[in-house]
Amino acid sequence: MKRKLLSVILMIAMVTCLFTGCSKGSDDSSKTGSNKAEGSKTSDDPVTLTVWCWDPQFNCYAMNTAGDIYTKAHPNVKVEVIETAWDDIQTKLTTAVTSGQTNTLPDIILMQDSALAKNIINYPDAFVDLTNSGIKFDQFAAFKTALGTVDGKKYSVPFDNGAAITCLRTDILQQAGYTLDDFTNITWKEFIEKGKVVLEKTGKPLLSNQAGSPDLLMLMMQSAGAWVLDENGKANFKDNAVLKEVIDTYVELVKSGVLVEVNDWDQYVSSINSTTVAGAMNGCWIVATVTSAADQSGLWGVTNVPKLSNAGATNYSSQGGSSWLVCANSKNKDVAADFLGETFGGSVELYETILPSSGALATYLPAGESAAYANPQDFFGGDTIYLKITEYASKVPQVSYGVYNYEARDAIGAAITKIVAGTDYDTAIGEAQKELEFQMGQ
Amino acid sequence: MTKAKIKYFFAYAFLIIVSFISIFPLLWMLISATNTSLDVIRGKMSFGTAIVDNFKQLIQTTQIGQALINSFRNAASLTIISLIVCSLAGYAFEIYHDKWKDGVMKLLLLSMMVPFAATMIPLFTWFGKMNLINTTAGFMLPSISTAFLIFLFRQSSRNFPYEIVEAARIEGMSEIRIFTRIFVPIMKPTYAAAITVTFMNAWNSYLWPLVILQDKKSQTMPILISNLISGYTINYGVLMLAVSISTLPTIIIFFLLQKNFAEGITGAVK
Repeated sequence: MKRKLLSVILMIAMVTCLFTGCSKGSDDSSKTGSNKAEGSKTSDDPVTLTVWCWDPQFNCYAMNTAGDIYTKAHPNVKVEVIETAWDDIQTKLTTAVTSGQTNTLPDIILMQDSALAKNIINYPDAFVDLTNSGIKFDQFAAFKTALGTVDGKKYSVPFDNGAAITCLRTDILQQAGYTLDDFTNITWKEFIEKGKVVLEKTGKPLLSNQAGSPDLLMLMMQSAGAWVLDENGKANFKDNAVLKEVIDTYVELVKSGVLVEVNDWDQYVSSINSTTVAGAMNGCWIVATVTSAADQSGLWGVTNVPKLSNAGATNYSSQGGSSWLVCANSKNKDVAADFLGETFGGSVELYETILPSSGALATYLPAGESAAYANPQDFFGGDTIYLKITEYASKVPQVSYGVYNYEARDAIGAAITKIVAGTDYDTAIGEAQKELEFQMGQ
Repeated sequence: MTKAKIKYFFAYAFLIIVSFISIFPLLWMLISATNTSLDVIRGKMSFGTAIVDNFKQLIQTTQIGQALINSFRNAASLTIISLIVCSLAGYAFEIYHDKWKDGVMKLLLLSMMVPFAATMIPLFTWFGKMNLINTTAGFMLPSISTAFLIFLFRQSSRNFPYEIVEAARIEGMSEIRIFTRIFVPIMKPTYAAAITVTFMNAWNSYLWPLVILQDKKSQTMPILISNLISGYTINYGVLMLAVSISTLPTIIIFFLLQKNFAEGITGAVK
């Protein structure tokens, strides 16, 4: 009987500990909540700004550095970064907004540029309109601020630069009789011709791409100032001359062997680091992947991307990149906006600090004039690549990604797989447009 | 060579190939955990010497200790409570008689067909209103009673000799004593199978802990691993080491209960 009693007592104790232990977390968060409320009333009360972002070496590091800079001037403000993968941020955001539990959102979130329009248009009440917050939006690359602008209201503070670049192995180009200049300011036609020569003489394709991934196609589209959704956000696949040229170019790249298709992202990285291919074309963040093969130092060069042949075509584009948003539920909206304005939108010191160790490039144009950006990079043969990339970023054509950007990209991805496999262009694109329109409920 | 020997030779050759294919990803994971990221990317297939560096980096860049404790605490508590609730339910479904019980069981089994993602948002709204966000109770409540476990215990109870229950009742044993003293010891293999399945599901659960456990200190292992692959540069050596560490508890539990596991799934009472 005693044993029975003892086991019952132990069981009750265990369950009690478990539940009280758990509720501790909510107590803590309610404390933070009350801090938040006080913080908005007076400027000296302690304020903790919570931030959701991903990548500890890149975004989280940048945010923590910005927090340190801001705390120096405002000792009462502390920044707490909660590392959260991008897909998870999207899941948590959607769950919180659709269930009406927006109090579970942090003060600031980082968002992929490709998802900006979708989230701002779908959940306009979830984010703060920063147009009149004092942030100097004109000091950012115009294409980046345009991505977070809906109905003339600016919702996002641009951060991570997604300006497109071509990284090429100069030693392999040399074996084929070329230099980096031969691949600068060229057209896709020239790129393919030269790529064929490189392949013939060295056996190395110039590029790799994940099969079925629309990234490179979208990069080409934006370089011409065109997109797969029109200004009203509707599917713009059929009769889109730029899309036709982009897909023809891609098919030609694959058929000529200048571009080799790989199965997934890991193989893509492997193809670059293992010298299966002689180059990479992507957002400038690909530099981090390229430089991870330290034994290839001095063998790489950076230049702009080839251009298409239509009227609006340029040698500049964007791929990836991200921006900061202030959540409307934040009790410290003003502090959060001021923090972003003073750091990411006003501190050259921040960008100078984060650049050397993280390679985090800004779209804040004054940062490009700082000394850190002019440092030659030994890995890239002593070239001042950061200056180059900042210049490229200022020339990227503006496009409107639209609400159904992800769906449109997926539809194009499915279409390109079919077209490479031999399906007729009109059939594959027609199916892709139908599929997208179905998803859009049209 | 006799016919039988030839038959065995081919059977073993086939089994060895299939075993190797099954084990290969696990082996590759362990090999990768000992190599640098660049070596993994370049396809190195032999054990390396970078495991200490990978471990140091894993500890420096993540809260792996906290995540392991969180995952273990969540999974262990959920397993204990879930087993108590579901075994009682399974036992009751079989031993006690009621004209509605088969209908209720069918309804329960139907609930297995509703994907969790469909009920997540209403659950989140409800839990938010009850202040259960960021609590272990909030994490556990939706999975304490699962149709699968109740079904597993009910099926096992089918072979449980009802005469023992009747004899015990005549002897004057209380219902709860019949359950704890007679049913539980006989059903050990079913409990072992249930522990393995519940612990593994709780350990690997991703979506619900992601939305309900928002606090920085509540991070679980699957979420930590998801963060490791979210960056522009992925350190594959560190990633594989984290994945290896994450699989250890489930492997240990499986091997400890392996003997009983198969019996439990096929039926505990012979």
